[in-house]
Amino acid sequence: MTATLNPWYFVTLPIMDYEKVKDLQNQVVSGKVAGTLGAEVVIWVEHHPVITIGHHGGKENLMVSEDYLQEQKIPVIAAERGGNITYHGPGQLIAYPVVNLQRQGLSVTEYVRLLEQVMIMTCHEFSVQASRNPVNPGIFIGNRKLGSVGIAIRHGVSFHGFALNIDIALEPFQWIHPCGLRDIKITSLQKETSSPLNLKMIQRSAQQHFCALFGIEPVQVELSELEKML
Amino acid sequence: MKEILELNLPQNVLYTKDHEWMDTTGNTMRIGINDYAQDQLGEIVYVELPQIGACLNKGDVFGTVESVKAVSEVFMPVSGEVIQVNTDLENAPELVSSSPYEKGWMIEIKASNPDEVKTMMDREAYLKFLEGIK
Repeated sequence: MTATLNPWYFVTLPIMDYEKVKDLQNQVVSGKVAGTLGAEVVIWVEHHPVITIGHHGGKENLMVSEDYLQEQKIPVIAAERGGNITYHGPGQLIAYPVVNLQRQGLSVTEYVRLLEQVMIMTCHEFSVQASRNPVNPGIFIGNRKLGSVGIAIRHGVSFHGFALNIDIALEPFQWIHPCGLRDIKITSLQKETSSPLNLKMIQRSAQQHFCALFGIEPVQVELSELEKML
Repeated sequence: MKEILELNLPQNVLYTKDHEWMDTTGNTMRIGINDYAQDQLGEIVYVELPQIGACLNKGDVFGTVESVKAVSEVFMPVSGEVIQVNTDLENAPELVSSSPYEKGWMIEIKASNPDEVKTMMDREAYLKFLEGIK
């Protein structure tokens, strides 16, 4: 992969609402498009429980009423990423790389495959053999989905990213047809291994694999530092 | 991914930095995404287009193209009113990949400020621009 002269900033956020991180990503995209922020930025985060619906789908994949979700305090939000419906919650490791694909010399398909590869290699490190599915993007163990990819592209800058289930509660996935898929079950890394897992440890591993696959050196920054650059 | 020399970039249209093309030879201007853009995106599964009658400014998002798990925004090369959209793309979004300049065109507009066309690139200028970003 191409190494660039621009730094790659990695920011770890505390658990945060989906909309707040969406706004942050939009600000980073705007800075990159305007040329005021040269760095690529990778945001690590977990979300409070939320159901998000992708660009063209689909409340038809919601299996319970929105009233019921309201009782469970789970908002349903439209997302600008590709893909269909999904659930995010604590115990799911999310990476939102805001990356200029053109500058990195990556096509969209190559980039999606790299994000999948980061998840596959991270799972392998914890002795879970996940792989791609020939038909559906994301990573799987048989027909059990472990990680998802969904991105959006504005002026050549990709945002949104991937979500890897670590020890997330799986019940809310039963309230939707995740990603619009009806014959797929959702699993988590914890469900697939008997070793105790810790999300921060897995994040460190994922970041190492990310950096190796993209051929980059990470620069850790705090949210407050990033905000000053925007 | 195609090499620059393999790209199909017709002489008779103009290009933007966001890889849209526009045909300015008729009374109305036809717009789509070019061969470079479709090649970058991979298999296109959904195309979202504006309402006929929408008046948009140069640089506004007029639609989106969704490939597998990726949504890309498409921008107005110049300001104008949308007078036609390619409804064939509703059921056959793959036309954007297989025939980007013909069957895969996206919208037709009536430009409100024809001078803005001067900001677009001809094939040679666009090729130079591509070499700069590759």
